Amino acid sequence: MPFFLFVLFFLVYPSSTLVIGSFRDQAGHFTFANIVGLDNPYIVGAYSVSIRLSVVTAVGGAIFGFLLAYAAVRGGLPPFVRSGMMTFCGVASNFAGIPLAFAFIATLGRTGMVTQLLASIGLNPYDAGFSLYSFWGLAIVYLYFQFPLMVLIIAPALDGLRREWREAAENLGGNFIDYWRYVAFPILTPSILGTSILLFGNAFGAYATAYALTTGLVSLVTLRIGEQLAGDIGNISQGLGYAMALGMLVIMAVCVTGYTLLQRQSERWLK
Amino acid sequence: MSTKKMVWAVMGLAIILAACAPAATAVPAPVPTTPPIVITSAPVMVPAPTATTSYMDTLAAACKKEGSITLIADPPDWANYGTLMQTFGSRYGVSVNDLNPNGSSAEELAAIKANEGNTGPQAPDEVDVGYANGPLGKSEGLFAPYKVAHFDQIPIKDPDGYWYQDYYGVMSFEVNTKVVKDVPQDWSDLLKPEYKGMVALAGDPKGSNQGYMGVAAAALGNGGSLDNPQPGLDFFAKLNKAGNFVPVVARAASVGQGETPIVIRWDYLSLADRDTLAGNPPITTVIPKSGTLAGPYVMAVSAYAPHPNCAKLWMEFLYSDEGQIDWLRGYVHPARFDALVASGAVPADVLSSLPSAAAYSVTKIPTLDQVTNIQKVVTGGWDSTVGATVK
Repeated sequence: MPFFLFVLFFLVYPSSTLVIGSFRDQAGHFTFANIVGLDNPYIVGAYSVSIRLSVVTAVGGAIFGFLLAYAAVRGGLPPFVRSGMMTFCGVASNFAGIPLAFAFIATLGRTGMVTQLLASIGLNPYDAGFSLYSFWGLAIVYLYFQFPLMVLIIAPALDGLRREWREAAENLGGNFIDYWRYVAFPILTPSILGTSILLFGNAFGAYATAYALTTGLVSLVTLRIGEQLAGDIGNISQGLGYAMALGMLVIMAVCVTGYTLLQRQSERWLK
Repeated sequence: MSTKKMVWAVMGLAIILAACAPAATAVPAPVPTTPPIVITSAPVMVPAPTATTSYMDTLAAACKKEGSITLIADPPDWANYGTLMQTFGSRYGVSVNDLNPNGSSAEELAAIKANEGNTGPQAPDEVDVGYANGPLGKSEGLFAPYKVAHFDQIPIKDPDGYWYQDYYGVMSFEVNTKVVKDVPQDWSDLLKPEYKGMVALAGDPKGSNQGYMGVAAAALGNGGSLDNPQPGLDFFAKLNKAGNFVPVVARAASVGQGETPIVIRWDYLSLADRDTLAGNPPITTVIPKSGTLAGPYVMAVSAYAPHPNCAKLWMEFLYSDEGQIDWLRGYVHPARFDALVASGAVPADVLSSLPSAAAYSVTKIPTLDQVTNIQKVVTGGWDSTVGATVK
């Protein structure tokens, strides 16, 4: 019952406010204008950039996070490495927002520590065209909180891979690749997929980090929504902000549906 | 009723609640006939040209009962606000809340709107916004009229007292001379390749008065005029393309650290940073040769102020001789500047610390229509001209 109340107030009520708000105009009357207004090249472009950024950081985060978790859990390292890494990941996955943006500016910005270090040995990344204030710069900053999240969630799943299965696979004549292909990955796939969707949503919804780093120069949906609610642009409309958020909800719903279907597929043989 | 049906019923209720709620808190209609007048315990009267001591005492007592004042977007190092807030708080025995010190004018108005009916510490009592936001706020019913003493001496104001000018400064370049060896003197200098990744604005041009006025000032040095800010946008597009523009909103910290060594900022802020950083690193303030503009800011009392008497007292304090001179110490030109200088009330040392009058001769002061137009053109055109790459 308490959980149900929690879901009601923190999930159902805000979502319905959002959905209903996107159909209202400034004076509170019902209208489709906000939804139609989404067909603006800047808004469509913002969705496209947001989705690309989220996909890139979700995939990148998933791959590197998985490798990192595998190394920590099964790599035969001393036990303090794993606990140290888990603690660090717990902190890092929540260290997003303005402090993260400024930490990166201080590290990889034009006068950042790492940049200066590299420049002193003649490899200034800015000369090679890199800029922290671009799509890829933002992706690197996002990855900072994406892989720790992946590590935290995948580590328990990796723990679940029993040594006996590996031995059984070898006994049946399988090698390293066969084991992974026929045994380990199919078991891990639901977790990996689920976590990737989580990473996607995490990146998709990020606002403060992107704002602090680029002040809207890299166009993301969350930034555009922020502008509608507290900006000075000519076409300002709360309803449009709601409509954009509705769009985000729809995209997340599509992802989650996709994940559910894939998961059913991959879980078939487990039963 | 089975549990399942009950669950659906309650969910349905939640959805209906959600549908009803926004109607109750809909954005107020654009042009209300009369804004809600806040009822106060002090006698509401327009003060005589010099506020009588008894009026001030009554106001101070009423404010003390209210106990605190909530200000918004007033950084302590902006036009000496820190000293002003401290003096006010200790003299009248109230606590001074400063919400969102680095907020933009747009955020200030949004804060009033979002806190209608909220009497807690999140609702601002008074705002200090860019010139164009004065009439904008008035038309949205966000301000309450209040004519301070010496109202007649203020040059830029709404005739009914909804908003009036507090001070102005001039758009300049704040340069960290440790990082930048060859100090740029003019707008065209900023495009030079040696300033790659060095030039920043001090506010988001889509919402901050300082941001879009910075762009409009660039227009003056690039063939535009106060009526035509488009060349400013084109200039920033060029700056961005050349890689000289850094999209980070600059602050004293980022100038000092060197990430944004050249900032297009109000001269009074640049001078204040020079004092704060105290030579580490050294800061130079340059007024661009080919032209720049002045940016008046205006103050207004919120129509929904939870502490209306404190808000009025704060206004009276700021527009008193003492308040105006404290503002002068923050290197701005306060509203009653001319009157104060004429009456000899300004101490000589304060007068001499202001930027030279000669530099101010290339400054243009925009009218309200021009500022409103600048706001519209720059905030609307920033994305399409300068930035958001629609990939």
